[in-house]
Amino acid sequence: MLQFIQFAITRAFMALVTLLLVSLIVFSLMEMVPGTCAERYLAFKNTQGQQITIDDIEAEKVRLGLDKPFLQRWTGWVGRVFFKGEFGDSCILRLNINQLLGDKFLISLGICLTSLVLAYLIAIPVGIISSASKSKWLNGSLRFVSYFGLAMPNFLLALMIMLFSTVYFGETLTGLFSKEYRDAEWSVARVLDFLSHAWLPIFILGWSATAFALQTVRALMLDESGKLYVTAAKARGLSGGKLLWRYPARHALGPIVNSLGFDLNRVFNELPIVATILTLTEAGSLLLESLARSNDQQLAGAIIFLLTASIVALNFVTDIALAVIDPRVRRSVMGQG
Amino acid sequence: MADSKSTGSLNTADQLAREKYFTATQSQLIWARFKANRGAMIAGCVLIFLMLLGLFAPFLSPYDPTVKGRDKDYQNGPPQIPKFCDHNGCSARPFLYTLERTRSIKTNFRWVTEVNTEKRRYIELFVDGWEYRYFNYRINLPGKNFDFTIPGFSFTTHLFGAADGNIHIFGTDSVGKDIFSRTLHAIYTSLAVGTLGVFISFVLALVIGGVSGYFGGLLDGVIQMFTDAVRTVPAIPLFMALAAFVPDTWSAEMRFFFISIILGLIGWPTLARRVRTHLLVERNQDYVLAAKLSGAGAGHVIRKHLLPSFTSYIIVDLVISFPYMVLSETALSFIGLGLKDPVNSLGVLLQNVTKADVLLNYQWYFIPVVFFIALVLAFVFVGDGLRDAADPYSDKH
Repeated sequence: MLQFIQFAITRAFMALVTLLLVSLIVFSLMEMVPGTCAERYLAFKNTQGQQITIDDIEAEKVRLGLDKPFLQRWTGWVGRVFFKGEFGDSCILRLNINQLLGDKFLISLGICLTSLVLAYLIAIPVGIISSASKSKWLNGSLRFVSYFGLAMPNFLLALMIMLFSTVYFGETLTGLFSKEYRDAEWSVARVLDFLSHAWLPIFILGWSATAFALQTVRALMLDESGKLYVTAAKARGLSGGKLLWRYPARHALGPIVNSLGFDLNRVFNELPIVATILTLTEAGSLLLESLARSNDQQLAGAIIFLLTASIVALNFVTDIALAVIDPRVRRSVMGQG
Repeated sequence: MADSKSTGSLNTADQLAREKYFTATQSQLIWARFKANRGAMIAGCVLIFLMLLGLFAPFLSPYDPTVKGRDKDYQNGPPQIPKFCDHNGCSARPFLYTLERTRSIKTNFRWVTEVNTEKRRYIELFVDGWEYRYFNYRINLPGKNFDFTIPGFSFTTHLFGAADGNIHIFGTDSVGKDIFSRTLHAIYTSLAVGTLGVFISFVLALVIGGVSGYFGGLLDGVIQMFTDAVRTVPAIPLFMALAAFVPDTWSAEMRFFFISIILGLIGWPTLARRVRTHLLVERNQDYVLAAKLSGAGAGHVIRKHLLPSFTSYIIVDLVISFPYMVLSETALSFIGLGLKDPVNSLGVLLQNVTKADVLLNYQWYFIPVVFFIALVLAFVFVGDGLRDAADPYSDKH
């Protein structure tokens, strides 16, 4: 048990180091955007009719701490993010980023995770069945469907569904909430309203995730079912679902759990694009807006950091989960000491 | 040869085939296995066809794909499909009907385009049209003296055109640009961005993965940590962050190169990891030790001994990563952060179909979508076929 805790702590430490590195990358990117916060603030004041001098800019820089060296500013930013959960203010919108994000990030995360779960709920049984079946027709069509899921980008699918529903049902299917619930407090009615809107983004994000998962599951199952222990199990008289489920499927589970973090990464990739088309008001489109329209580096940095942090967290959880469910991993963890 | 006589039961043809198999080079083996995969072969043909379409885009397209080549009398015009037969009989040469602009009391004195089915316009081959150049480069370095232009070769011949008037076989868009010409040029642009992106990520992956795998130890640990960190950041949001740097004042070419560089900068970690894993295994082999004992330096060993041992895998990986480059470019252009209108890329064309108006009235805007899906599908199938063919254990010999 002690060894297990030690393992968990090592993993947590590694996750933390990864996060620090990511924060460094994100922070340097934010720095690279031309123009500093001080200039932006003063440019805003300038539009309000105030006269701005070079001294004002310098004073503003000192006030915002922009005169300090890069590393010091980075540690300051990271410290606030890690210990207080504060992302500071957005210079463009002159608002607190935490307020701006609110529950939007959690909603996006929820949508992405749900679509991922959905993808695997479909992909695991279908992948196992297709790997076991000898039917050329079934395998060929599954292969085609999963490739098609890849070649037909989510945004096209979103677009098609939306356009068809607009044209043929007169329903736009956009947004995450109906008008009356948009700014309301969370309540049962609001949750229900949310669910009635959220199925479409979940479905669309799940579409290509399913295609990917299907291919992974099938390839892993094919690899495993050729192995000797499966033949041995067959020789003992096992067959059908029992054989598949008890032997190759359990082995194939490991790599799948392991790759969940990267699947989430892929879903996040699609999020901003799908969000633009469906005009969802959550983190993905906020990111797009902060980048494309206003060049708001603080907000963009915060969102990218949060996205990455959730991937790192998921990776950590899957590492631990793998050690719990897979005796081989468990033994190697315990053995290492 | 003496050996072949002792196994006399095999006939000579069989024997030759076997001998060929055992003496074949790796690329011959891969090709043989690839040929046996029918799906991949079909996809390969489609891919080559699309590439040729892209390469010869200016020759094949009857009009300039930019605003210069627009047909202002045929805006949002439906595709004109050449016919062989009509109520006036058949002709061996495909023809179109003449479009006439008329204005009368019937049309409320507005200009209306009418189709005159009595007047035929025949399709002509190798017609003279807009001027295009191959191998034409304009290099714009800082400083006046460093700007130079390579004129290249200019042509005006195009594969087809129609007598007296225009031909738009895929229709036109809202300003009258020929969608067929735009699609072909878009294929070229998307392929070029992808190629450049793949190339950049390839070089980065080779250098980083090579160093990390060859030297191992602490350096490897540090590089791997960095690679993993880059890999965890979701790529498209990061693309977006990088693409936002592009000022609006940049020219189309600058944008094009910048987007390719971004694609390359983000695509390398996966390939670098594979290079590293392979090098970690191979560097302990005897032939590497032999080379080292003979006094070869690190660079020499990596280039002359280690890289050739897995060239085929690298090529396969490049083909596999290609569709993702095209998809990323499309996604970026689609949200308006990538390439923009005067440049024709598939993403720019896909952006045009986002209006409900298009689905209702101008369905021919969707034609480039078909090309896009075909391109990505073809790449994925070819990549998959190549991967199976390059894997020596996929063979059931």
